Amino acid sequence: MSASKAKVNQADIPVAQQHKFKWTDVLVQVGLVLWAIICLFPVYWMFTFSLKSNEEIFGANVMGLPQNWLWQNYTRALNVGHMGQYFLNSLIVTVVSIIFVLLAAIMATYAMTRLQWKGRKRMNSFFMLGLTIPIHAAIVPLYTTLSRVGMLNTYWALIIPYSAFSLSMGILISIGFMGDIPYDLDEAAFLDGCGVWGIFLRVIAPLMLPAVSTVGIYTFLQCWNELMFATVFISKEAYKTLPVGIQGLSGQYTTEWGPIGAALAMATLPTLLVYIFLSKQIQESFIAGAVKG
Amino acid sequence: MHRPFSYKLNIFLFLLPALILFVGILIAPIAMSAYYSLTEWNGLGIPKFIGLQNYVELFTSKSINIMRALKNAMLLAVLSVCIQLPFALLLALKLSRHVKGERWYLAIYFMPVLISSVVIGQLWIKIYNPEYGALNMFLRSVGLDSWTRIWLGDKNVAFGACLVPILWQYVGYHMLLMYAGIKGMPADLNEAAMLDGCTPAQVSWYITIPYIRPILRVSVIFAVTGSLKSFDMIYVLTNGGPNHATELPSTLMINLLFLRNRYGMGSTIAVMLIVLCFVFAMLINLAFKEEK
Amino acid sequence: MKKLVALMLAAIMLLGIASAVAEDVTLNLWTIAVESDSSYQTFIDAIAAFEAAHPGVKVNHEPTQNEQYKIKIKAAMSAGTDLPDVFFTWGMGFLGEFVAADRVLNLDEYYPAYQEELPVNMTANASYDGKLFGVPYTMSEVVLFANMEILASVGYDHIPTTIEEMNECCDALLAAGITPFGVSGKELWCLSEYLEPLMIKSVGTERLIKLYNGEESWNNPDVIAAVEAFQNLVNKNYFDPNAAALGNDEVKTNFIAGKYAFYQNGSWNCGDIDKSENPAKFQAGLFPVLNADNASLYELIGGPNNTLAVTATTEHKEEAVALAFELGRFMSDADYKSGANLPCWTPDPDAQVSDLVSQVADIAAKSEGMVLFGDNFLSADQANTYLDYIGLAYAGDITPEEFAQGMDDTLYNK
Repeated sequence: MSASKAKVNQADIPVAQQHKFKWTDVLVQVGLVLWAIICLFPVYWMFTFSLKSNEEIFGANVMGLPQNWLWQNYTRALNVGHMGQYFLNSLIVTVVSIIFVLLAAIMATYAMTRLQWKGRKRMNSFFMLGLTIPIHAAIVPLYTTLSRVGMLNTYWALIIPYSAFSLSMGILISIGFMGDIPYDLDEAAFLDGCGVWGIFLRVIAPLMLPAVSTVGIYTFLQCWNELMFATVFISKEAYKTLPVGIQGLSGQYTTEWGPIGAALAMATLPTLLVYIFLSKQIQESFIAGAVKG
Repeated sequence: MHRPFSYKLNIFLFLLPALILFVGILIAPIAMSAYYSLTEWNGLGIPKFIGLQNYVELFTSKSINIMRALKNAMLLAVLSVCIQLPFALLLALKLSRHVKGERWYLAIYFMPVLISSVVIGQLWIKIYNPEYGALNMFLRSVGLDSWTRIWLGDKNVAFGACLVPILWQYVGYHMLLMYAGIKGMPADLNEAAMLDGCTPAQVSWYITIPYIRPILRVSVIFAVTGSLKSFDMIYVLTNGGPNHATELPSTLMINLLFLRNRYGMGSTIAVMLIVLCFVFAMLINLAFKEEK
Repeated sequence: MKKLVALMLAAIMLLGIASAVAEDVTLNLWTIAVESDSSYQTFIDAIAAFEAAHPGVKVNHEPTQNEQYKIKIKAAMSAGTDLPDVFFTWGMGFLGEFVAADRVLNLDEYYPAYQEELPVNMTANASYDGKLFGVPYTMSEVVLFANMEILASVGYDHIPTTIEEMNECCDALLAAGITPFGVSGKELWCLSEYLEPLMIKSVGTERLIKLYNGEESWNNPDVIAAVEAFQNLVNKNYFDPNAAALGNDEVKTNFIAGKYAFYQNGSWNCGDIDKSENPAKFQAGLFPVLNADNASLYELIGGPNNTLAVTATTEHKEEAVALAFELGRFMSDADYKSGANLPCWTPDPDAQVSDLVSQVADIAAKSEGMVLFGDNFLSADQANTYLDYIGLAYAGDITPEEFAQGMDDTLYNK
């Protein structure tokens, strides 16, 4: 590393340098704003055309705000497009998956960090294999097994694989958090007469709450947007999740953009709302997932 | 230590849920995939063992044309590493230097990552629509009529058109990782260099970037393996068309499985993908070690 | 004696109860007629009619969207559990894979009761080794729909009858700024609706069947001439230049809106065209003959393909078989009257149908040979390879010779 350069000390301090007006700063600002616009444009466009008629979208008013706010696009997406059902399905699948991942990950983490046994390191690296395995790898066997036991077109067909594929990351994040809990607490609880389960339930689990939100958010985003399994394992209208539902809907309404826009907006809005309130936690869950790996 | 902390049954019980999920849903299916990849099977009846024939056919068959799918995936990987990551790094470096509205930029740049690929794909389908799409309309309005294309239907430009939203969506993700890494640097490291009379560019090059090397490694691994696994956006935008010009290994696999009833061959692609992901992850790790 | 009578009475009562219980049957029916499908209402009506005629039998109708249905039925067939009693299927290759896996009930012993209404020649695509496994209800054929108003604007009062006249007509249309043919380049099967009529009109019915069966090499001048003629349509800009980005529904909408002079596709489009503002300006005809030595105008692409079949594992054989046949009969009739398709069952001679449907029926009546759509004829794997090659030929990526070579690699002697 070339950090040795930093050791050389000089007396004159060019503090003023930071406050001087520079053209490059302006350019940087313009660049940053431009990229922000590029990031926001599709979303802006989606919300505006979700409220427009075909005439406006196709010529009269392509980019502007809608002239007539067509809220019936939304009612159509809800009633004809079954968006409410898809939304509920996504919610059920995601929430149950999160619970499964948390339970399995925190328990396994406890066993691998707080309990003493040979091979716990190896067990950990075994679980970490899951970080590189693409979900495609399991699709045929899962599909045939699920169909054989009659579980295609049920919530379980998604919940079980989603939990399994989010597990490695869940364990990875949990290990980071559990490492921060002082071992003295275990000792104290042990001396108070707690067993392994007592320590886990009364000491460790309550202190893992920050991990719960990080793992939960990460799992949420993995499951909420997943497309491949959801396409293959679910063909019944009643169990379709949002991504599959929207994909099917757009096949039905190739020439009517308004209701499609409304469906897209409805699928995106909850994520955006959550993001507005929890942007910091969400960003941190992604960082935790990657940096600790 | 204390007996209960090593009591075997407890250890086993704590590991049990994770083990059931992990072994049952990940490890066992991979073993089954490996077996299926050696069989000829249409999903009905019993798989017929045919040895390595699927692997031979996979790499020689013109109608499957796996090389085109791999070429597309590699192109995506190369562009991710050479364009997406440097751009993300540039943004991260700028934002970490106390730009006005830093947190706002961060939040906006990261937003596309959170939106479902299906939604983003559907939006880009509309943007690329030859008649009413924003892109062609814009080109026409500035007099560049000759530049208009059937973006997703012309085999010469379709894959390029697909790359744009894929690369665009994840710039924010890599930026966030790098930003977090830079923010995690000890403050005196940067300041000392600044006092030293280094320009910001020099500080970035000699101090910041070497410092966040581990994160760059993670980003490169994610970008490359992510490219190999990529599915959602292409599935939504073109589903591999026109004429398979935008096919990726994953879309090809789904096509073989569910359109052609070739479960054996689909498994062969799955196995190939696992191997490729591991090999590339190892190579990248090695490359980052050697340079040290 | 009393005891005996009492016993007998009890036995009779028990039997009565048993038979009453047995009558209460629920049959599961899987179809592709989702709410947006044109035959959704027909199915509802057909089921109501069946339930009325068979008290105690309930039908549980479960429709699934076309593409997803293919995945769903294959999954169920592969598992062999949770199968419906009666299911919708396409003939030949699609049903054939399930028959080969012994999942479908043989209908030979039930067929004679319906033979008078469902002619034997209609059952060929649902028969394997001479045994019947499905109830075909409607058939379709590829026809050339023409917008006669547009043709009149360039001086034609009929659909061109020779290749030369067709070319002249298309050139005149192009000169007038009208795209001659509407086609979806995005959905490959739509391209096959153009290639296959050319093919049968170049090689003839018998040889086309041999080609699909892999008994004749594709590498012969007649196949190559057909592919050349197909590529000619592309090269001369007779197809919509935006075709690659359009789905079939958009193309159909454009055609009805008067954007193209011709639209060659299945006869099932009659219903949609008849629903347009002025259906009188549309006519159904046929693409001219390419090689008069081998083929005649009335050799057609199409045949009975919409089929109902009964699963081998059904617990209510009699009722399920009755459902398949009676639903088939009802659907055949109703779809014919609504213009959704041509009937496989002998239609009511007094049936009122639109002009367009009667033109299509007339073409079918004059048929001198029919070959099913290639992607239905072939197995799933071969069919997709075949469609890929058609796509490549359309894009000009392969020569007709390369097309023939590719098809030989896929089919010939396989």
